[in-house]
Amino acid sequence: MCGIIGYVGERKAQPVLLTGLGKLEYRGYDSCGIAVAAGDGGLEIRKDIGRVKALADSLSSLDGSIGIGHTRWATHGEPSQINAHPQADCAGKIAVVHNGTINNYQRLRNSLTAEGHTLVSETDTEAIPHLIEKYYEGDLLNAVEKALADIDGSYTMIALMSGERKLVAARKESPLIIGLGDGENYIASDIPAILDYTSRVIYLEDDDIAVVTADSVSIRNNGDDISREEHKITWSVEDAQKGGYEHFMLKEIHEQPKVIRETLAECMSTVESTADLAAHGKDVPENVLILASGTSFHAGLIGKYIIEELVKTPVRVEYAHEYNYYGRALAGNKAIVITQSGETTDAFKAIKRLQESGCEVVTITNVVGSTASRLANQTVYTRAGPEISVAATKTHLAQIIALYWLALPYSRMDIRKLDELIMELRQLPVKVQQVLDNQQDILEQALKLAEYDNAFFIGRGINYPVALEGALKLKEVSYVHAEGYAAGELKHGPFALLGTHTPVVAVVARDDTYDAVLTNIKEIKARKSPLLALVEEGNEEINALADSVIYVPKVDPLFSPVVNTVVLQLIAYYIARQRGCPIDFPRNLAKTVTVE
Amino acid sequence: MKQAIVLAAGEGQRLRPFTVTRPKAMLSIADKPILRYVIESLAANGIRNIVIVIGYRKEQVLDYMGSGEQFGVELTYVTQEAQLGTAHALSQAEDVAEDEFLVISGDNLIEADTISDFVQIKPEALLVKRVNNPVRYGVVNTRDDAVTDIVEKPKEASGNLVNTGIYAFTREVFRFTQSILDIPDVLNDMITGGHTIKFLETAGTWLDVVYPWDILNLNGAVLQGMEASSGGVIEAGVTLKGQVSIGEDTVIRSGSYISGPVVIGSGCDIGPGVSIMPATSIGDNVIISSFTEVKNSVIDDDVSIGTGSILHDSVVGKGCVIKGRFTACSGQSEVRINDEIPSVNVGAMLGEDCTVESSVVAQPGVIVGNYSQIQAMKMISGRIPDRSLVY
Repeated sequence: MCGIIGYVGERKAQPVLLTGLGKLEYRGYDSCGIAVAAGDGGLEIRKDIGRVKALADSLSSLDGSIGIGHTRWATHGEPSQINAHPQADCAGKIAVVHNGTINNYQRLRNSLTAEGHTLVSETDTEAIPHLIEKYYEGDLLNAVEKALADIDGSYTMIALMSGERKLVAARKESPLIIGLGDGENYIASDIPAILDYTSRVIYLEDDDIAVVTADSVSIRNNGDDISREEHKITWSVEDAQKGGYEHFMLKEIHEQPKVIRETLAECMSTVESTADLAAHGKDVPENVLILASGTSFHAGLIGKYIIEELVKTPVRVEYAHEYNYYGRALAGNKAIVITQSGETTDAFKAIKRLQESGCEVVTITNVVGSTASRLANQTVYTRAGPEISVAATKTHLAQIIALYWLALPYSRMDIRKLDELIMELRQLPVKVQQVLDNQQDILEQALKLAEYDNAFFIGRGINYPVALEGALKLKEVSYVHAEGYAAGELKHGPFALLGTHTPVVAVVARDDTYDAVLTNIKEIKARKSPLLALVEEGNEEINALADSVIYVPKVDPLFSPVVNTVVLQLIAYYIARQRGCPIDFPRNLAKTVTVE
Repeated sequence: MKQAIVLAAGEGQRLRPFTVTRPKAMLSIADKPILRYVIESLAANGIRNIVIVIGYRKEQVLDYMGSGEQFGVELTYVTQEAQLGTAHALSQAEDVAEDEFLVISGDNLIEADTISDFVQIKPEALLVKRVNNPVRYGVVNTRDDAVTDIVEKPKEASGNLVNTGIYAFTREVFRFTQSILDIPDVLNDMITGGHTIKFLETAGTWLDVVYPWDILNLNGAVLQGMEASSGGVIEAGVTLKGQVSIGEDTVIRSGSYISGPVVIGSGCDIGPGVSIMPATSIGDNVIISSFTEVKNSVIDDDVSIGTGSILHDSVVGKGCVIKGRFTACSGQSEVRINDEIPSVNVGAMLGEDCTVESSVVAQPGVIVGNYSQIQAMKMISGRIPDRSLVY
């Protein structure tokens, strides 16, 4: 999915295009670009990998009040400066942004090259400006119509030509709307991109080709002039993008069963297929280093337990930004760098340093072709799709899934146990769905905690990082002061803070930590803290100890972080909603940290 | 007609256990929920402004349909908090309804042809269909080209035209939905009040799911029209016959024999030596181990079926783990649903996330509730409630 935009009118095009692209980032954000026809008629094209804000910050002010823009999400192939849109013709006079796939691209490219055109990118889109160039005989609309007739595939696009005060747009399969202004007009993939400027829109249908100038819009469909009804938009900006949910965070939490399924499929096709997994134990590395920050760091800590349990090899987990200040002789022979965006500056530094010392680096990232993936020796992609909420949810769960899959081929486990684990891993989407189906109960329990200004989260073993992540989520989205602790660590100091005003959320797993956690819970109750326990369904023992209980589906203890994490995400979300916080965009936080 | 209001808030109680976690409209038929067929049919007829009334387990609809962009439509959602009736559901959409609109049920399976003429009609109007057993439905009585009245499930039918639940209305209808809960009653009241309700007959597909085994009938009907396509990896020595559709990242292992119409989702691992016979639908992320035969069955996402199993005319819910040597053969059986005891030819029906240990034999017509566990070597029959442990 990509987002495209166009503007023609009185204003400077650059800020209009960049603001609109920002609103289209939910459609993808691995690379972006704009083209503006400057006052003297020449085209200025600026594009790069990375998000719209980075492009906006790097640009000097361009003259010109007509232009087009694009933001991209690659599912195949690498984003690069040259592959980013807009794409241009040989003379750099025609620029095109495109959302779709051209099936007969290779043939078009060959014949265009034979006719003397020079195509420089790997994109299918580049064929369009060259075709327009080939057919141009003084009328842009005519040339676009001829060009599109040559194309087999989907092509929602906008073309801009230097010297012309008009944009030519076409829709095939992906959506496109025209926003009607006063002495200016807009074109965009979706309404939010233009809603700051106008609420009058026309929806284009498949095969429509529109010519848009500052004060006119004309539409043709298969050679006939037609008119399309004008609609008045009455709804607020985010409704459509959130697919019926109140916030992106809740939408993304609900996407997790699907994300697990897709990430498993990705792992099976790139790491190791199911049948091959059990067949061998790979050579085990002597030790593994995991580097990450924030929520990814918590995934890394869970990864430590997974790898040590399955592979029986020692694992160190470090913050990427701290590791860069460590001494020299620390790298082993295998490192895993976890970065949601793949654009975390600290991670790049660490990767380079590790590779210099002969270490092989695997990166786990959500963005195809991101800088981290280009630096690393091997990349495992989490197929979580674009994540808009600043607080990470689905990308975190996908990271954990990828870590399971990375560890399995090295497993030293009994084959019977391994078979069972693989089966359970593939069943996790259903278990997560059951947590989501139980949301009413989770909501009720969460509301009991919403009035407190402090909270502790505790867990032991593999659920200790889950407690850390639960506390982080609560801090991020609800501004409640929350601390995550290993259950056994609480009495080494923090006990002084317990009391009726400080609730504790305990993650209780049915593994060898169970009895110890129960003892911790009793100690906490003696200090009169309100206590909410997460525990496997069917457990009655906990009722006598905890003030309230949320039951989670039964899974192997190794997978308990997956179901428990989802519960804690929902708790953080509901508390934040109750407290009226701006959940998707918390104060002072950015999605990707690109400075050290 | 530019707008459609789709009613997808209902549960479908008689379809339990399959509707415990999702509305009836989200039942999966040939790897797609019923609601998606409705939305795609509307889109194919140029209706892209679609309002969906959601209620029971509404997140399932949101998670699948999203903004609608994937299906080429613009979706708006309104919520019916309590499922009181179809007219009550429609009234929830009053704020977003245009002057004229189509009303359609999200849980009846239709094709684009079914409504291609009806979308051109001027309100108010009703789409009817001629059926053999009209007493199950709302029978529509007519004079000339107008409806005279609708009689719900009559003891004796006066004709064989029935109400498809597809209507063309103007905003006028909201004057009636204030006090009346069901749309057929609204129509009867409108007629009494002097409105002319036109009708149009369709010969197109219009299928309802009432009982769990109806899932198999619909699945068979939809698979008839499907086209072959293939992603994934097909190992050497696999035979594919007829219309077989295989999703991305799926592996079909050597020695497997697949006879279409069959649809298999993405990320599955099938074989070696598995036989999949017509008309079978398999969801995403499914494992079927060696020497198993599946015929005329619907297998949902995340299911694992062990080696040497037989599944005929069966429905398996999401996330079930079935160990080796499971047997579910088809046979005539009487199944009690509420107070009705229809006699049907069916295999086993398993709710979601059940665990079935080795060598279990299922009697024809068994319905196993969600999250149940069946120990090894058991024979199961009848109706087993949710969260049962059979040992």
